[in-house]
Amino acid sequence: MEGILPSGKPLKGKRANSVEVEGAAAACETCHRRSGMGSLEGNIVVTPITGRFLFANENNRPIALVDPRAPKNVSRAHSPYTQASLAKAIRKGINVGNRLLSPLMPHYDLSNAEVKAVMAYLRQLSADLSPGVGEDTLHFATVVTPGVDPKKQEAMLGMMQKAFTQRNASQEDYSGRMRMPIDLLPRTLRNWQLTVWELKGAPDTWAGQLAEKYRKEPVFAVISGLSNTTWQPVHAFCQQEKIPCMLPSTTLPATETAFYSLYYSRGVALEADVLAKYLRDQGKNAPHRIVQVYRDDEVGRTAAKALTEALRDSGIQVESRVLSGQDEPDLNVAMKDIANEDGLMLWLRPADLSAVSKIMPTLPATRTFASGFLEEENYASMPKAWQPQIRIVYPYELGEKRQKNIVALKKWLQSWNLPLVDETFQSEVFFNLLFLTDLSSQMLDNLYRDYMVERAEDMLSLGSNVSAYPHLSSARGQRFASKGAYIARFAENGKLVAETNWIVP
Amino acid sequence: MYSLQQYLKSTTQKVVIAALISVSTFFFATPLLAAESAEVEEGSPAPDFIRTIADYKLPDVEVTRKDDKKLKFIKELDDGRPVIMNFIFASCSAICPMLSHVFSQVQTKLAKDSQKVHLMSISIDPESDTPTILSEYAKKFGAGSDWDFYTGTTEASLAIQKAFNAFRGDKMNHSSVIFMRAAPGKSWVRLEGFVSPDVAIREYRSLR
Repeated sequence: MEGILPSGKPLKGKRANSVEVEGAAAACETCHRRSGMGSLEGNIVVTPITGRFLFANENNRPIALVDPRAPKNVSRAHSPYTQASLAKAIRKGINVGNRLLSPLMPHYDLSNAEVKAVMAYLRQLSADLSPGVGEDTLHFATVVTPGVDPKKQEAMLGMMQKAFTQRNASQEDYSGRMRMPIDLLPRTLRNWQLTVWELKGAPDTWAGQLAEKYRKEPVFAVISGLSNTTWQPVHAFCQQEKIPCMLPSTTLPATETAFYSLYYSRGVALEADVLAKYLRDQGKNAPHRIVQVYRDDEVGRTAAKALTEALRDSGIQVESRVLSGQDEPDLNVAMKDIANEDGLMLWLRPADLSAVSKIMPTLPATRTFASGFLEEENYASMPKAWQPQIRIVYPYELGEKRQKNIVALKKWLQSWNLPLVDETFQSEVFFNLLFLTDLSSQMLDNLYRDYMVERAEDMLSLGSNVSAYPHLSSARGQRFASKGAYIARFAENGKLVAETNWIVP
Repeated sequence: MYSLQQYLKSTTQKVVIAALISVSTFFFATPLLAAESAEVEEGSPAPDFIRTIADYKLPDVEVTRKDDKKLKFIKELDDGRPVIMNFIFASCSAICPMLSHVFSQVQTKLAKDSQKVHLMSISIDPESDTPTILSEYAKKFGAGSDWDFYTGTTEASLAIQKAFNAFRGDKMNHSSVIFMRAAPGKSWVRLEGFVSPDVAIREYRSLR
């Protein structure tokens, strides 16, 4: 994987256009990926190279869709590779059918022993289907952490169960429904099954709970999930068990990236960076000091720390204050001595904002900001007197574009009689369910977890964006699909409008 | 998937097909390049690319260079030097590293020229490719002072890709293409496909 030969020397290859590659850049994994299932870039198809594809006979070779945009474009028939023909492909770029491989495939001067080692490696690579794949069932889980809004939990689970039922029904019934050509490729019909992992108690006990649940029912992937506090234990669990952990809804994703977890965004840390960039870009007009008020919990601490770090050496002094309760003395401590020319960032949820507004009917600082993630779309409860002045760091799309994105969600909810409780949140769940459907169509019977993550990396930006985000995008190694936010203000009709362009820190 | 006809139809600017090397392979069988090119004698080198001459209407957009300076894209192109340009993104695993290796070798081989060339790499994943990430990327390929990397807003990157008829709907659909031009006002030479450093230099030397 690192492109190191058994001798310890770096692997070297030479492409047909005489570009030399060395080390990691020359490693098989760079193009054929960790799973060995290949990839697609532009119109360059990188074919699967696992043993099941290279060495099998026609009768027992699986089919892979090598270009999801062209459903007829499946892996091709060929005679099984032998050591000699594999060596020829590796050394001279000529395949088992005596045809030239793509000029992108480097030629490697490997010894017979090294080719043999490559063969042995490829034979065991993605050889068995991943855990969670049953004879006729594909198992998924979703995770709910303690303390979430029960209405949101109910909305998410309702949507997921409905989507799974709909999907299972549609794959049994081939008549009367418009089908994508991709659905006609041969595959084993497996019902999707959803299990809900509802965690209890303190975050440091979650790892044990997850392990126990997983032992009882191994799942292929964790889909969505809901948390308004830390997600770290789930992230760590997915990484440890090598389970794809796809696009949970959390304001607090893990900060370090890991192969198996994909997120919509960096959550409150992203908002902090966007605000810092916005303030820095004001140059001389930036406030000399910004006061940030937060709750002393995981989310609050993370947000405050991120803003402090993002404004380091900016010339803007950051003063951090904890709001310890909604009683007047607590509020007074947090909000004292704020001058009109200061900046003020309120990392507070609606109930806290409402409490603050009781002692401060008008905002003390001209430039006051609040967090879009923490508001959870409860803008109606924003004190009226604050509205002309306060700005929201807003990580979603606004206006007509937003409406266009989420029209599919609204129609789907309506047709299944499901409630719309929280538009941005439910749009995340909806996007994820459609994305999962696409991914599983494209994977056919190649149900390997690594392959799923790689497909997700490559395909995230290709489907239609039915989420509340302006655009979602990923690529190899990228783990946060949305990368910016607006600074938004309240229009006179009480609706949010963008005051700035989309800011990407 | 573009067929040649569709490609020509969609190309609004004046395009002269100067040389078509293995057109059928490139356009009709591209998804199967790996397995389906013509049968060959061992070792016969046949790197495929298409050379066209084109004029492009350049967009008046702002870009951010990897040193975080905001600049007018047109001014960067028209600074008087000949330009060799490509589109890349840092998380791209196959095409972009190859293109960047070509640029790296072109840079080395043209280093002694008295007339300095301006190598320009434009990110097609600008939200992810921050100046910091582009700087790391540049370092990885040994980019010197004549090789600049640019990012900017998604809109700016799209406008540039569209102007050069290099936008294929998504970054994952991008193709391997190099553009070069002798001076402001001159036509562009567009090389689409697999170009070796030597071919790129030969093309550069024959720019008029």
